[in-house]
Amino acid sequence: MRVRSTSLVSQVLLVGVLVAALAWVIFPFYWAFLNSIKRPADTFVNSFVPFLQFQPTLEHWLAEIAIPETRQALLNSTLIAVGAATLSILIGTPAAYALARFRFKRPNNRFFTTWFLSQRILPPVLFVIPFFLIMRELKLLDSVFALILLNATFTLPFSVIILSQMFRELPRELEEAAYVDGASAFQAFAQVALPLVLPGLVAAWIISMAFSWNEFLFALSLTTKNGIPMPVIIAGAEHTRGVQFWFVGVRTMLTLLPPTILALLAQRYIVRGLTLGAVKG
Amino acid sequence: MAGRLFLLPAVVWVLVFSIFPLLYALYTSLHSYRFGRINEFIGLRNFERLFTDANLHSGLRVTLTFVIVTVLVQMILGFALALILNRELRGKSVFRAIMTLPLFATPVAVGYLGITVFYEQNGPVNSFLSSLGIANIPWLSNPFWALVAVIIVDIWQWTPFVFLVSLAALQALPADLYEAAEVDGASPAQTFRHITLPLMAPTLFLILLLRLVESFKVFDIPMSLTLGGPGRATEVYSLFTYRTAMRFFDHGYAAAQGFLLLVIVSVIVALLFRRIGQLYELER
Repeated sequence: MRVRSTSLVSQVLLVGVLVAALAWVIFPFYWAFLNSIKRPADTFVNSFVPFLQFQPTLEHWLAEIAIPETRQALLNSTLIAVGAATLSILIGTPAAYALARFRFKRPNNRFFTTWFLSQRILPPVLFVIPFFLIMRELKLLDSVFALILLNATFTLPFSVIILSQMFRELPRELEEAAYVDGASAFQAFAQVALPLVLPGLVAAWIISMAFSWNEFLFALSLTTKNGIPMPVIIAGAEHTRGVQFWFVGVRTMLTLLPPTILALLAQRYIVRGLTLGAVKG
Repeated sequence: MAGRLFLLPAVVWVLVFSIFPLLYALYTSLHSYRFGRINEFIGLRNFERLFTDANLHSGLRVTLTFVIVTVLVQMILGFALALILNRELRGKSVFRAIMTLPLFATPVAVGYLGITVFYEQNGPVNSFLSSLGIANIPWLSNPFWALVAVIIVDIWQWTPFVFLVSLAALQALPADLYEAAEVDGASPAQTFRHITLPLMAPTLFLILLLRLVESFKVFDIPMSLTLGGPGRATEVYSLFTYRTAMRFFDHGYAAAQGFLLLVIVSVIVALLFRRIGQLYELER
């Protein structure tokens, strides 16, 4: 009897914890969504069920999307995310393969891996000055191109480390068979190994896109007008204009929906991605 | 030979976009700037300023407080949640999927949204608290509570990271050890103390390290939620350095500040480094 009663208690506790955790995680998203579809007057009242408690409206979404700066920022963010992630995968994949399959001496594989990993330790703020000065010299301030280069740089270690783990998990026999058939190293890589890691590669690409979309410090430092992406559009706007809950809701949703949807697409690889491959999820 | 060719683009890229800017920052830190243009070589004087700048020290204090509190709370909450949910459960994959959402939500957007969530007059947090009988908390106008708000947002965003990684590691633990412990009549507390904790230690250690490194970089949330205020209450290190560079155009000094942050983070990592090597299977 005693066992059953404690298990009932633990069941109730478990459900309680689950519900609390879900509510805690989901509330901010739901709150942003709610405000984005409320009429301004309704945002001052705490009501949580559209149609029953208030009449929803799409007017703020339409108004926000009609703003040229917002459209430009959405386009810029998309270009930066896709461009940086693609570049980082293009450069990172061969390097990842090299670290997984070839044995280097002086400097050895361990050195290279540590070197790529250590890039993660560098504080981004240390790079604000040099990048600002370099981009000013190159006349690349306020350009999407500069932000593509920078985000590719910051996602490159991630691509290299995570993809080299995936290559290492492939059985060598397939490539060895290809070598026996007279394939070059490049053919073994491109025609045998690459197709096999494709799901992981796509996941790494998706996660890199989300990281690049979310990047804020360099976007803020290097853009002034034409190159501004979404995170810069929203930063600090309300401090100067006064808080308009409904536009906060729309802009928040517009900014965080793309990366969160991307994350859901790469679900299987998230834990591995976030730990740079150290823990397999 | 082919191997070197494969590796070359990435190595060149890091040299050009990471090592060169680093050296350039070093060069910058040895000079004074006027109106955003290089003025003169001043040796280590920018570095000497690091020791006497009260505002920088305030930024460092705020950052240390932020790092210690957020990382500690995230580790405890995330690991506890993973322990509780480490069992057969319907809908677990849906729950895990939902838990990834905060991790990928744009931090600036989350901080920006926080302005409305922590709105002092009738905002959702204060409404909820007042229904519990707690009087209005001045979330964003009071120095103490503003830092608490920034910390809460960061905890919201990153606790799922600890949870997801811990859960993945817990599920990979060998089941036979637990069966043996059960046969031997070990209590749940003993099992946790002598099996789960030692086996999880490397993962927890890795999580701690990753969170520490990332937390020291904090910038987005205080910038969007509080603009570093009120006063300097939430002006974290990176925010102060950003302002030194981009608002006061004191490029040389900002670069010196960046190096100090790098040294602080590197020392912490170096203290823990041997273990990371093992975790990343740096066998060759």
